[in-house]
Amino acid sequence: MTDIEAETAPRGLNEDIIRLISAKKHEPEWLLELRLKAYRHWLTMAEPGWPNVKYPKIDFQNVIYYSAPKPKKLKSMDEVDPELLRTFEKLGVPMNERAALAGVAVDVIFDSVSVATTYKQKLAEVGVIFCSISEAVRDHPDLVRKYLGTVVPPGDNYYAALNSAVFTDGSFCFIPKGVKCPMELSTYFRINTQESGQFERTLIIAEEGASVSYLEGCTAPKFDSNQLHAAVVELVALDDADIKYSTVQNWYAGNEQGVGGIYNFVTKRGLCKGANSKISWTQVETGSAITWKYPSCVLLGDNSIGEFYSVALTNHHQQADTGTKMVHIGRNTRSRIISKGISAGQSNNSYRGLVKIGARAEGARNFSQCDSMLIGTKCGANTFPYIQVHNNSAKVEHEATTSKIGEDQLFYLAQRGIGAEEAVSMIINGFCRDVFQQLPMEFAVEATKLLGLKLEGSVG
Amino acid sequence: MSTVVGATHPYIASLLNGCESGHDQLSWLGERRAAALERANALAVPTTRDEEWRFTDITPLTRVPFQPAVAVPHPGADDVAKFIIPEAGVRLTFVDGMFAPELSANAGLPYGVVVTSLAAGLATHGSVIERHLARHARFEQDVFAALNTARLRDGALVWVAKNQQCPTPVQLLFLSTQKAVAAYPRCLVVAEAGAELTLVEEYASLVDNAYFTDAVTEVAIGDGAQVRHVRLQREARDAFHIATCAVALAKDANYASHAITLGARISRHDLSVRQGGEGAEARLDGLTLIGGRQLADTHTLLDHGRPNGRSRQLHKCIVGGAAHAVFSGKIAVAPGAQLTDSAQESRNLLLSNKAHVDTKPQLEIFADDVKCAHGATVGQLEAEHLFYLQSRGLSEQRARNLLTYAFGAEVIDGIPVPSLVEQLEETVLAETQSAE
Repeated sequence: MTDIEAETAPRGLNEDIIRLISAKKHEPEWLLELRLKAYRHWLTMAEPGWPNVKYPKIDFQNVIYYSAPKPKKLKSMDEVDPELLRTFEKLGVPMNERAALAGVAVDVIFDSVSVATTYKQKLAEVGVIFCSISEAVRDHPDLVRKYLGTVVPPGDNYYAALNSAVFTDGSFCFIPKGVKCPMELSTYFRINTQESGQFERTLIIAEEGASVSYLEGCTAPKFDSNQLHAAVVELVALDDADIKYSTVQNWYAGNEQGVGGIYNFVTKRGLCKGANSKISWTQVETGSAITWKYPSCVLLGDNSIGEFYSVALTNHHQQADTGTKMVHIGRNTRSRIISKGISAGQSNNSYRGLVKIGARAEGARNFSQCDSMLIGTKCGANTFPYIQVHNNSAKVEHEATTSKIGEDQLFYLAQRGIGAEEAVSMIINGFCRDVFQQLPMEFAVEATKLLGLKLEGSVG
Repeated sequence: MSTVVGATHPYIASLLNGCESGHDQLSWLGERRAAALERANALAVPTTRDEEWRFTDITPLTRVPFQPAVAVPHPGADDVAKFIIPEAGVRLTFVDGMFAPELSANAGLPYGVVVTSLAAGLATHGSVIERHLARHARFEQDVFAALNTARLRDGALVWVAKNQQCPTPVQLLFLSTQKAVAAYPRCLVVAEAGAELTLVEEYASLVDNAYFTDAVTEVAIGDGAQVRHVRLQREARDAFHIATCAVALAKDANYASHAITLGARISRHDLSVRQGGEGAEARLDGLTLIGGRQLADTHTLLDHGRPNGRSRQLHKCIVGGAAHAVFSGKIAVAPGAQLTDSAQESRNLLLSNKAHVDTKPQLEIFADDVKCAHGATVGQLEAEHLFYLQSRGLSEQRARNLLTYAFGAEVIDGIPVPSLVEQLEETVLAETQSAE
């Protein structure tokens, strides 16, 4: 375990803890008010029981809601605590090297507080703001105040309310009018202190004609007790703006008996506010004991486009209930959903999605495809698509299939001298190709390897 | 003698008004009715907060405390004539939930085929009824099935003995004639191993009033037996119709359902097919054709419990006016039900811009060596198809009508009773013909 002294708040949640978090972060009064309002609303809400997942009841009073590495002023990467760098090394994320090689700016989130931000300068030249949300609150309060909570209101759902009350850090990204972000923005999230719930808050705003590609990648070290993770991600795209959000999630999923692992209860939503705007979600979910997440698009602007590409892999005792919501409000809005679920071991993998065509969404168009693959006889794959159409000029198509790796496919590859393990990996990669193609190159490579690694030993 | 005391839900209490248990001469029947009554008392009327009723708001139903008919009306043979299917060799007619022998017909059935009222059947086929009645339609969580079972007085019994074939279709006709009356029709259909049967179950009305039909049908199909089941719901436009149909399939059994929904202000059809034996096959076809302010909800469950099962489902909705169609279809594959082959399609056609559709096809798969697929589409008529027909000289309106008719005909043409196909084609044609 990494040994960096963390400044931690006592366990439990009450208004004092929220005031403490707010004070620690030197937040303005309006934000504290927002937190308290969210907390009071959260108290009135009940934990959702509808997802197709099972877990012991979470004791929200037994969670540390704030922990921060000791504050240090850092001028360059060299000053980053070597202990911290070594942890990254162990995770196989040579951040500085990677940043230099790939030209990726990395805003490192290490237990809730941003420690180092690189490439800020280069981004500042074109007017892109990319910093931690705490810095944004301090340096750009008007922007944060204007957009925070507009896509995911504080009372949206149980976990979003909790997040709104106690979020400690996350990323803020603002692309001004007409700017094409010169590089892919990336944040490596990591959960460190044992049992510290992570409550990130990410806010990305693309102004008129702006475009950005954002990468989120996650790893977590091995812990035995379950960790709660309830993040909120909000995206806002104005006229002609384009946001692409990619995730590779590989948090600790618990051991083979299903002990431990992260509970990932995330609310991600994008608002296509302006005409001709576009939001695209791509996710590769391989980790966490439980994944409960529905990256969604609200297509408000006319001609706006929403996309969702997902690969969710579950093995051993993992549970995933994931999918998307496409809410068509504006005219000629289009959406596309490609979801690939792979279940192995004793895991349970559900796709749950909503396509809603509002009464004013003339000419709206949706295409959804949800394919599941089962490996082994003890796993489950479920599909729960909801299609609600209130406009007759809309066209909605949904299709889903369930299949397994064919004996003949394996035989063919074996006959070509390819071993079973490798053959399975090839077939899986083929199955997920439509999604991997959407990922930025480095992520695509990582994702391919990750799936192979995760399925090791699950095919006999 | 326990009379109803305090159903937890006031509307349920009003429906159960006067319902008593304990008068049955047969102890097993009394026990089942008492258990159903107990459940009905404990359950509440579902609201849109219940997942299974999310899109179907039945508040309008709960405004009227429907009571079973007291006076037995006697519609004339002429009133019933238009509902008669010429092919059917035998017909049982029920009026407001009560058996009407004078309106029924029996042209002579071969040995081994029994079509009679449940009450009469108890004397001759008690053990068959005991084995199946209230055993397939589960009422523990379903308040309307519980109500029907608690209110169970009479119904239809269709029994086909081992390896017997019923040569002509059997028609079960349920008519409503009175306002504010609740009817609780009940059908029990048993096809023993190797038997064959074609059944037409029809719900219709002689009046245009608001009444309530709460129907339960149970179909048990033995090893290698085959049942074709046509279900025609053309209730009055102001009526409420809630029906549960539970089908149990044994090894290599074959079941085909053709469910046509045309009537009622609010209707709900819950069809569950459980494959309890290997190699069973089911085909579920459905057509919902509604307009005005109608709401039609179809929930289906295809439960593949055993290996080598096969199922095909096609559900179509044609929705006009400000109507609302709901379809929720679940395909479940239990652990170990390997080599299941299942496909489901939900096709929806919206004719007006106030019409709307909620569709929810679901897959729940717990076996790896299976082939399961579902597809759903919602849309209006293809512009290209319209253009093609117009290029052949049809007016736009005529082209529209033709395409809409063809959309519904796919389901209707599969019905195994020719006179009914003809009759329904005319109905669909009439319903879809907007002014040319």
